[in-house]
Amino acid sequence: MSESVTLTIDGQSITVPKGTNVLEAAKLLGNDISAFCYHPGLPIVAQCRQCLVSVEKNPKLQPSCQQVVAEGMVVHTTDPQSTLARKQQLEFTLVNHPIDCPICDKAGECTLQKLYFDHDNADSRVDTNKVHKAKVVDLGPHIVLDQERCILCSRCIRTCDVVAGQHQLEFANRGDHEVLTTAPGEQLDNAYSLNTVDVCPVGALTAKDFRFTMRAWELEATPSVCNGCATGCNIEIHHKNERAWRLVPRLNAEVNQYWMCDEGRFTYHGLREERLASAIVDGLPASWDKAIQTAAKRLGVFLKDPSQVGVVLSALCSNEDNYALAKLAKAWGAGHVYIAGKPPVPARADGKLRVADVNPNTTGVKAICEAFGFTAIPTYELDRGLPENLRALVMLGDVVPGLDANKLKELEVISLSAHERGPVPSARVALPIAAWAEIGATTTNIKGRVQRMHAAFAPPGAALAGWDAIVRLAAATGQKLAWSHARDVFKDMTQTVAAWKDLTWQRDVRPLALRFAGSRG
Amino acid sequence: MADAHTLKQLVLGRKDVQDLSDTEQDLPPDLMTVNMGPSHPAMHGTVRIVLTVDGEKIVKGDVQPGYLHRCFEKESEHATYTQVFPYTDRLNYVSPMINNCGWAMVAEKLMGLTGKLPRRAEYVRVIVSEMSRMTDHLTCVGASAMELGAFTPFLYLLKSREWLYELLEKVSGARLTHSYVRIGGVSKDLPEGFGPELTACLDKIASVMVECENLLNNNKIFRDRMAGIGCLSKEDAIRTGCVGPIARAAGVDYDVRRDYPYSIYPELEFDVPLGTTGDCYDRYLVRLEELKQCIRILRQCLVQLPDGPVMSDDHRVALPAKQATYNTIESMIRHFKHIMDGVRVPAGETYAFLEGGNGELGFFVVSDGTGRPYKAYCRSPSFVHLSTAEMLFKNHFIADVVPIFGMINMIGGECDK
Amino acid sequence: MSKQVLEALTAALPGAVVRTASPHGDDTAWIKRDELVKVALWLRDDAKMLFDAPVFCTCIDWLDWKPVGRPLAEHWDETKPRYTVAYQLRSSKYKHRIRLEIELPESDPRCPSLADLWPAFNWQERETFDMYGIRFDGHPDLRRIYLYEEFVGYPLRKDYPKEKRQPLVRRDDLPINPIKAPHAGEHK
Repeated sequence: MSESVTLTIDGQSITVPKGTNVLEAAKLLGNDISAFCYHPGLPIVAQCRQCLVSVEKNPKLQPSCQQVVAEGMVVHTTDPQSTLARKQQLEFTLVNHPIDCPICDKAGECTLQKLYFDHDNADSRVDTNKVHKAKVVDLGPHIVLDQERCILCSRCIRTCDVVAGQHQLEFANRGDHEVLTTAPGEQLDNAYSLNTVDVCPVGALTAKDFRFTMRAWELEATPSVCNGCATGCNIEIHHKNERAWRLVPRLNAEVNQYWMCDEGRFTYHGLREERLASAIVDGLPASWDKAIQTAAKRLGVFLKDPSQVGVVLSALCSNEDNYALAKLAKAWGAGHVYIAGKPPVPARADGKLRVADVNPNTTGVKAICEAFGFTAIPTYELDRGLPENLRALVMLGDVVPGLDANKLKELEVISLSAHERGPVPSARVALPIAAWAEIGATTTNIKGRVQRMHAAFAPPGAALAGWDAIVRLAAATGQKLAWSHARDVFKDMTQTVAAWKDLTWQRDVRPLALRFAGSRG
Repeated sequence: MADAHTLKQLVLGRKDVQDLSDTEQDLPPDLMTVNMGPSHPAMHGTVRIVLTVDGEKIVKGDVQPGYLHRCFEKESEHATYTQVFPYTDRLNYVSPMINNCGWAMVAEKLMGLTGKLPRRAEYVRVIVSEMSRMTDHLTCVGASAMELGAFTPFLYLLKSREWLYELLEKVSGARLTHSYVRIGGVSKDLPEGFGPELTACLDKIASVMVECENLLNNNKIFRDRMAGIGCLSKEDAIRTGCVGPIARAAGVDYDVRRDYPYSIYPELEFDVPLGTTGDCYDRYLVRLEELKQCIRILRQCLVQLPDGPVMSDDHRVALPAKQATYNTIESMIRHFKHIMDGVRVPAGETYAFLEGGNGELGFFVVSDGTGRPYKAYCRSPSFVHLSTAEMLFKNHFIADVVPIFGMINMIGGECDK
Repeated sequence: MSKQVLEALTAALPGAVVRTASPHGDDTAWIKRDELVKVALWLRDDAKMLFDAPVFCTCIDWLDWKPVGRPLAEHWDETKPRYTVAYQLRSSKYKHRIRLEIELPESDPRCPSLADLWPAFNWQERETFDMYGIRFDGHPDLRRIYLYEEFVGYPLRKDYPKEKRQPLVRRDDLPINPIKAPHAGEHK
């Protein structure tokens, strides 16, 4: 038997792999059959009965999400019987739905709104009071439930069961009093709880972190990669007015499927914390030119004997930034190369998406060091103290555990950092660089996969991309790094690091206005 | 004659003509470059013409539009179909209702709603379109007459235009930027008593036009400055894409309302005036005659105007009633999606056109199935007509630029988009 | 409406026509770039066609093309041509209309110019060049028309962000501030 099956949907023939359901096959033809409870990453329950279609030789309507394709199957979605069934199903769903659109968080990305507008558009036939249920139920540390809006699709229950592996939500009561509630004795507090807010087709489950802060249709989405840990879940940054408002997962079948952990979602707050927006020389703001000149002058003294100069690469910065600094270090002949990164958190490793290594780019930095022949020493293992002949340090990033703060004051520190914390305020020169959401660059996850981030907005103030700052510093110290775009750095890098030689630079993605992208549900 | 350096000092005001020697004061024999516009009273809507003249005779004219370019197409790509209506108002801003109707027509064509609108909606659209056409022609004729020194017809014709604007203000709420038409009909019905008011207005305008004709048609100065100036032959008019009154003055028998009828024009009787020589005087006469035909059309419309709704009840285009919106979830969702997502226009591309004040005004829209256009191109007749300007100026005097430019009726908003 | 135009075109110049369609009643023919001038001349001069009136010339950038309700195969990807130049023509005698669409790859956005055949396309091709960067081979005077010469980029392309700023332009042929320019005899 071949691996693909040919069937006919509304007179159009399509060939799909064996095991596909009719709903997915129809999507390939651009035929959007309405559905609520179906989600490609969750077990199929055919609970909502919204996706009913007519299959020939079958007297009853079939839910297309559960109907697996068969050779020669003929499916009709526009015939009066299944169209009426889907309309009536929507009508049932809407009978008790509260008129909350103006205050509901999901407005603008609500599947119920989308399906009604695309598939029904009929007037209401009911003029009775709606059933009332609890409106603001605190389900756990991150999520609020509105029981009236819930359409009982059970996506959230399946998400908790499958993604988090914990049964924390379930339905109670029957009929039109059926409600979503927490399992007995449980709270919705697993590490993946916010995925339920993503999968919820309506505004029943809302995130405390995001609710009432921003309207969904005003946001723009830029694809990127989460910098919370080494898994590198593919995400979308939802931003507006140069500011990120939330992070949501993006499908990547090999890395994170459709999910991400709650901690990763909160990493967007860090983009606005203690940002370094202008260059600092000796504790006072200065222009880029002055800062670069001062840094070059100071370093120039020690570069006469390069073994006195040390470089700290950062597992929290992108491949391009690290590569640029490593190349500069090689050109200088710097005597000491360190890798900085946050210490591992073993409690995180749960076998699902979270891993112990909370640095996004450890693998990448290690690969770059290897390619240049450096034996990089992790800073957090350096509790013995600093080497004798170290006099100057060029540091990428602001997280350097293990380096003694007092000893650092004796060194000449040039810091390239996005945040003004840690060793940065006491550095001789601090150059502002862009954070992960503001650059088009790559990181390497724990499995060695190099993933591309895209810039959502410009960095604050005078900050530049890390590699750009390093190019300027290099020019001032007499080294030439001929890069004018991140693409050039990437090309150089993939030619140097053997494992990456087949990678290609992905074109810059422009932000997508969520308003016209349809419902995410 | 003075050299270039001296000329520059003169222009910058650092030297005075009296300080020049006798030889320096002689006029140069070579061609001179004179700049007309963009800030020039006769360059309606900011156009710059760089004229190369030999004395007073024009040798070459480099017409440079674009000073009023406001990125209509780029903005339309980021707005819903309904949000584009205010942008279309500002295209041909002396006949904005026609632009509105054109945009509604192209969206309706893509949705398959052409011909399915309520009758009253079609009649109201035609009424306001013809009123807009009248304001366009009144402005053009009045302003051109004033630029030739005839101040009285300017005031008379603009007063007539003002009567029409008052009525349009009663209909839509604004004199000029109406945004009145919607996909599927118009946004609100005509006000009470509109019919008798419009009839009275048309009677007044008809008598004003008789006065202006008496002032201008056989006026020696007017005829001398307009007749035989800027002649356009029939073949040239067609090849250069001229449409509307300019083409008709050249003898091209083309009117979209008659040749590719749309809306309820098949049920109306009107004539299409044709000129012979295609000079400025013919264009002026054609416009006057079209004004009379507009009055004729409007009188027929007022007689034939049926009762009924002014908006289609197709749920894909119509907003629900407020009572239902606040009390049922279905209408709430529908209202919300209409405003936020826009009217869903199926994917496809088409070109819909109608007879604007200047001729065939069309919109070429590519839709990707969402609520906003993927591409919205406006085929503006003024832009095409302006490209013929250089050809029309050749071998005329600088003073002839004024009537030629005025009678082309280049509306800056439509030309530059 | 009149399919005869498309049929006659396909019969007379079959090698030039890639495909034809009449979406919403607009007769449209997709033409190969190298045959465009031949097709245009035939359409203008043939006794049964006589397309003497130019209507418009514009370009469509397919970079963001993800139509809703259409098969996924129709979404744009890097293998498909990025630009389509569209010419609309009209016949004043027979009253029929036709749209010619020419697909251009992203790496080579050039199209033969029809400005010599119909003078109206002179300015319209300049506008298409100004907005999309399509080079029209054989155009007598291909320069920007709406935007100033120092403008960088092609604004109607989909990858040109709407909010992008342009640098201020220095004009060395103008005095810095003619009102405040010092006159002889003044201080400073």
